[in-house]
Amino acid sequence: MSPSKQGGGPRADLAEHGQERGRPPSKTKKGDLAKIAIERGVVAGDEWVTVPAARIREAVQAAKQDGFSFYSFLTCVDHLARADGRPPHTGQAAGEPPRFEMVYELRDLERSRLLRIRAFLPPGDPVIDSVHDLYGPANWDEREVFDLFGVSFSGHPNLTRILLPDDWEGHPLRRDYPVGGDPVEFSEEHEEWQTAPKRA
Amino acid sequence: MLRLIVDIDGEVIRKVRPVIGYLHTGIEKTAESLRYQQAVTVTDRWDYLSPLFNNHSYALAVEKLMGVEVPPRAQALRVILSELCRISSHMIWLGTSGLEMGAISMLWYCLRERDKILDLNEEISGFRMHTSYIRPGGVFADATPRFLDLLDRFINSFPASIDEYESLLSENPIFKLRTQGIGYLSREDALQLGQTGPMLRGSGVNWDLRKSLPYSGYEKYEFEAAVETAGDCYARYKVRIKELREATKILRQALDTLPDGPINVDDRKLLPPPREELDTSMEALIHHFKLFTEGYSPPVGDAYAAVESGHGENGTYVVSDGTHKPRRVKFRSASFVNLQSTERMALGGMIADLIAIIGTIDAVMGDVDR
Repeated sequence: MSPSKQGGGPRADLAEHGQERGRPPSKTKKGDLAKIAIERGVVAGDEWVTVPAARIREAVQAAKQDGFSFYSFLTCVDHLARADGRPPHTGQAAGEPPRFEMVYELRDLERSRLLRIRAFLPPGDPVIDSVHDLYGPANWDEREVFDLFGVSFSGHPNLTRILLPDDWEGHPLRRDYPVGGDPVEFSEEHEEWQTAPKRA
Repeated sequence: MLRLIVDIDGEVIRKVRPVIGYLHTGIEKTAESLRYQQAVTVTDRWDYLSPLFNNHSYALAVEKLMGVEVPPRAQALRVILSELCRISSHMIWLGTSGLEMGAISMLWYCLRERDKILDLNEEISGFRMHTSYIRPGGVFADATPRFLDLLDRFINSFPASIDEYESLLSENPIFKLRTQGIGYLSREDALQLGQTGPMLRGSGVNWDLRKSLPYSGYEKYEFEAAVETAGDCYARYKVRIKELREATKILRQALDTLPDGPINVDDRKLLPPPREELDTSMEALIHHFKLFTEGYSPPVGDAYAAVESGHGENGTYVVSDGTHKPRRVKFRSASFVNLQSTERMALGGMIADLIAIIGTIDAVMGDVDR
């Protein structure tokens, strides 16, 4: 898996880096989310905002102060090689299309509302700040995204694979990860029956 | 399937680290490589003890994306099957938790009732467990007279079974010793840890998606969200027992008010035409051919729909890039999130308490690892 070699375990340099970037965000107040947002709208009845990836902690903190204090999930979407060129809702019409979209789904239990925060990351070596200290369950979700998409979270206390074995190569939910077969190890003609691609 | 690495000081727990992933089957990746209507079958296998909830949330998400609303009869059938599924999921929980805490006979009583539900599944969908019954656009088949008859009998007999379970456990001194005051989770912690379902309601938070954000016509039925304030294992047990009674109430109302009418949306772009039309209508034949060779393509966008499953908020997040296969399907699993509270509940407790704590989290490993 040449494009995604960085997986496979916690990176020492990342931990140090995280100390630097994982600081609590500068003070945010109620209503600050509107200032941070670069695009907002409603799709299929769900409210969403797009924020710059570098300000994700501020945005999540501001959303929390706006009442979205309950965490539903966070995940990632790989927009590699879309037929329509670039993903929607990126907040910018020109330039190189981003590849990874981070999605944070937050709830406001008092008013039964749902908010989706989007942040886009470029191809290459995607890194975004961790929000595990703002929302407890983000800890495992971030490890899952790291495991399956190879997105790194700076400031995460224990960024290791969670679902796959530690020595797994590549990140299966990336769109360029092949849906191959498994070697059939118990077959007598092992070589012939091998269905997995030799080099993924 | 769940591995817990526990630091102990004598018998007192100092640290718990759950290790998961042993049941990871790559369901989300599989769903991306299937067409929208085919992906229903993998949702069955995500939380394998409550396939109907998974079908339900997936169907709601795709319908939300396509702007489709299913007819009243389909909604009522969805509610009936979901509530049956809640009972069967709680039956497995009650049986196995009882087993783990020394009440061995619980398992046999619970599996007895669960088998009746599996019979109902089989009658309506042809399958006992992985039903794929609820699908985008409606449901797979209409209720047969035998199904309605079996359901009626089940609803009449089930409250007596709940009494029986309660007589075995609720005042059982051993069971109470092992659950009361054990695995305490405060209201603040439950919220901060994103707990949902009985875990959240056992800690005194009145949050039930069927009440707060009703879907599939839940607002039409009279029932209470089960809430307990104690926050311990016994409170979560009480919540689930109450949910069994409330589920029976919903089933009775849904059965009595089951509306007539179609069970699918009348949209040839989403669902195949009836078999009879294929013999006479060229257009029907084309629709049929297109659906089964290419499928349908929701508009570009994304949607998230969640249902209140037996474990909590089980939701599906679907991203469409305008093609006939989803760009991304994410399953928000309640067990995955709920399991993260293990350490908070177990710290300072005895190692034997872990059994009760893990039991009342009711984490289904297929749901955790997906």
